[in-house]
Amino acid sequence: MPVNKLKTLYFSVLLAFMSLLLPWSQAALLVRPDFMLLVLIFWLIRAPNLCNVGTAWMLGLLVDLAAGMVFGQYALAYTVTAFFAVTYQRRLVLFTGVQQLLYVFSLLLISQVMLLIIKTFAGGQFIGWLYFLPSLSGVMLWLLAMGLGLNTGGRGRAN
Amino acid sequence: MARHLYNKIEQQQAPAFFVRGPSPFARLAFFSVLSLALMASDSRLQYLASMRQSLQTLLHPLQLLANAPTQLYLNTTEYFSTHDSLLSENQQLKKRDLMQSIALQKLNLLEQENAHMRVLLAAQVALKESSVAAEILHVGRDPFTRKVLINRGQNHKILPGMAVVDAAGVIGQVTRVYPLSSEVTLITDTSLAMPVQIERNGLRAIAFGHGRDSTVDLPYLPANVDIKRGDRLVTSGIDGVYPAGLAVATVKQIVSAPDTPFARIVYVPAGGVENHRQVLVVSKPQLGSISAPSLTEPVKLGLNQAKPADKKQSMPNKSAKPAKSSDAHAR
Repeated sequence: MPVNKLKTLYFSVLLAFMSLLLPWSQAALLVRPDFMLLVLIFWLIRAPNLCNVGTAWMLGLLVDLAAGMVFGQYALAYTVTAFFAVTYQRRLVLFTGVQQLLYVFSLLLISQVMLLIIKTFAGGQFIGWLYFLPSLSGVMLWLLAMGLGLNTGGRGRAN
Repeated sequence: MARHLYNKIEQQQAPAFFVRGPSPFARLAFFSVLSLALMASDSRLQYLASMRQSLQTLLHPLQLLANAPTQLYLNTTEYFSTHDSLLSENQQLKKRDLMQSIALQKLNLLEQENAHMRVLLAAQVALKESSVAAEILHVGRDPFTRKVLINRGQNHKILPGMAVVDAAGVIGQVTRVYPLSSEVTLITDTSLAMPVQIERNGLRAIAFGHGRDSTVDLPYLPANVDIKRGDRLVTSGIDGVYPAGLAVATVKQIVSAPDTPFARIVYVPAGGVENHRQVLVVSKPQLGSISAPSLTEPVKLGLNQAKPADKKQSMPNKSAKPAKSSDAHAR
């Protein structure tokens, strides 16, 4: 079973990466959820034996490369997010649907805030509150996935 | 504080039921330090430039694959575009072609005359530039910077520092070159500066991107500066990077600001910074590399009247500057 799961994991990561590479522009770019982080959070919750903080770091580097940014920025943001995800992973079993959504939302926010801090240190300018839209759209996507029957763990679900 | 936190987390996972390697906190510390080290070595020391180049080349096919659906959609809509719209577009293009060819004829005449005059004056021959057509692959994914990726790179003799223009004006400068693609920093990015000139009176200044909204800034001009609404900014060409006389921006609004000694003016970029796909990468102006006049813009004609006034000042540094300034502007 782990082999099968591992294949699914790689495939989902590849899919997330491809959707990151799509030519987003203007408004779409502004609301585009962080696909890579969503997939990462899903696997951190569902299969903590397959991926860990190190996986998050590697994926972060990949995103850094794709975004043409200084190496290590997304890597650091993902690492910190993954740490929180892993730390509270075992409590998640007791969470209800809404609680889980809030949990995912806060994880997405942590990653964005980390990135904002790094960017501000590097001399970037805050682009306004719209900057946090991807977290919101990410949660929407999570909700959609749950609605379509994706098993994201949590109470009342067969694990 | 960190120790306390660490203890707390340790307690949480105290009875290790399954062996899971180092604790998450240890991993967090390790990978955070690694990321910080990477950031420092990439941004300050530039050790990773070649690695980025090779990785980007590996990524290129994936990028093309991701672009394929959009490309397909564009091609299909183009294929099914109606007879009428094609006809009207054709007519428009013909009209524009006619106008531009007239302008071009005048330009050739003026260029000849100019060259002749320069010989008579024993002045340096005007600089020439060559160009490469390119297409925008996608806009930058980093929300903090204004960048685009184009589909021409090292293999097409693109060099960092080259200017990028579209039909309406300058859109930016090549800042990173990969083998098959290159990264263009737009003029609306805060890190890009370019020397400009007011077309009407020849006043020189340096334009910076504004970053947040897609406008351009001319900081540190005195409040009583002679700039009016609708004035056009063009490249002055004294930096040796941008060819002289390309449209950069127009003055949109003059804000009266009694609290600062500087003028607060809003400029809008002339080029379709965010809505054109086809662009032209223009090489740095060089002596002797004669090519067909690459830019057939009427702007060039208009500028010729304003030029003689500042010729004297700009001539001496023309020969000395080009080598240095290209790096300075990329930063």
